Amino acid sequence: MSTSKKNPLHIPSPFQAEEPGMTPEQKEQEYVHNVYQVIAPHFSATRYKPWPVVEEFLMNMPAGSVGADVGCGNGKYIGVNPSLFMIGSDRSSNLISICSERGHEAMVCDGLALPYRPQFFDFAISIAVIHHFITPERRINAIEEILRVVRVGAKVLIFVWALEQSGKRDFDKNVQDVFVPWAMPKKAEPKQSRDRTQSRAQGVRRNERSNVHQQPSTSLSSQSSSAAVTTAMTSLNEASSIDEPLDQLKMKSDQADKDQDQKVLTTHNLTFEEFASTRENAIQQTNVQNEQTQPSAKESEAAPVYNRYYHLFQKGELEELVVRTNKASIVQSGYDRDNWWCILEKTTS
Amino acid sequence: MRLITHNMLQCHVKGCNANNFPLEFQEVELEQEEAEMNEDFLRNMLTKLEYDALVSTCLKLGINDLPATMPADAAYNDEFLQILHRVILETHVKSGKMICPNCKHIYNIRDGIPNMLLAEHEV
Repeated sequence: MSTSKKNPLHIPSPFQAEEPGMTPEQKEQEYVHNVYQVIAPHFSATRYKPWPVVEEFLMNMPAGSVGADVGCGNGKYIGVNPSLFMIGSDRSSNLISICSERGHEAMVCDGLALPYRPQFFDFAISIAVIHHFITPERRINAIEEILRVVRVGAKVLIFVWALEQSGKRDFDKNVQDVFVPWAMPKKAEPKQSRDRTQSRAQGVRRNERSNVHQQPSTSLSSQSSSAAVTTAMTSLNEASSIDEPLDQLKMKSDQADKDQDQKVLTTHNLTFEEFASTRENAIQQTNVQNEQTQPSAKESEAAPVYNRYYHLFQKGELEELVVRTNKASIVQSGYDRDNWWCILEKTTS
Repeated sequence: MRLITHNMLQCHVKGCNANNFPLEFQEVELEQEEAEMNEDFLRNMLTKLEYDALVSTCLKLGINDLPATMPADAAYNDEFLQILHRVILETHVKSGKMICPNCKHIYNIRDGIPNMLLAEHEV
């Protein structure tokens, strides 16, 4: 890939079915669920600014409407319009813990098997979720499952990542199924807990190919990033199945939020994944001065990188899936911040 | 988890399609937490609630405040809306279990978070 200017840690690579024996469920477990579980605190710290299309959708809902946020992550959309009542769900219990700590109604569940009564909700959103399902059938099933739990006439907003995006990412326009790396900052993390991190992240593949050895000094500085994030990460991994009091985690991740805000005040208009890479740049600059004060930096390895599976949507592909459900019509659709989005209306039960 | 959420949950184990609502609470630890009253939301909920299930669930949890049947003027009955608000929005289940009356599947609630994930063969 000809992206020499770009941070090599953020270059996507084609998704290869390395384990042909794996079911789609197993692949999603390994390349989506396990990854989010591990990167949850860092991921959450980079997710706080609502996208305008989503915000507008929520602000336009009649007061008192009841909505489901399917794949809500840290719940950043749940409190956007306080006149609504929203329930969030996500596969990642670590993300749901953060969401719940913020006072939001949240539960752990699978997007293909929502535990709600049929036709209950007045609206639903699913932001940056359906691109993580590995087959077209599962992507349709995910939309159908959302449509099952909303009433006839309800509106549903869906965002998925676009293949056509041009920006930080250079996607090969012929490859729709890709691994997208998530680089975890890893400063002062003690060696032993790093090992523990590794063992807890069962099945999570670190991208060993990903230029671990060709990272010069920038890699040293990029890994010595926000200590607060790393601490949150470490403590989460050390807590066996979330036994640590969550308010501690919350405080740490809030601190991480603030750290990041201060470092990258200018990144508010950035798109989905740009934040992380810009953040690294900022941190690299910050850390140039710090390097002498960190003698151990030379000994550290490169930042751990976790590969998430994405299906990148082509123009029109999301609408096609919606039409194939035979249960909804498309009200509006568009392109925003490297994503295709679509508002649909449930037409038949 | 607020009690409102319990009223919208049903068992979703594959093939468990009848008598799968409401899930039965066991070993429940409750907590009251004040919340701002949203009358639009409460009025909207009147048509969505399975009211009988809410009342019977509450009685099992020792909450006797709700009338056995919903008042005809519920939407504009301030006293009723206040009670409803307190019960469905301010009453939290901090921990416990929810058991499907049909297939007996157990869903755990910890730290106020229900885990509704199913094993692969149950989906």
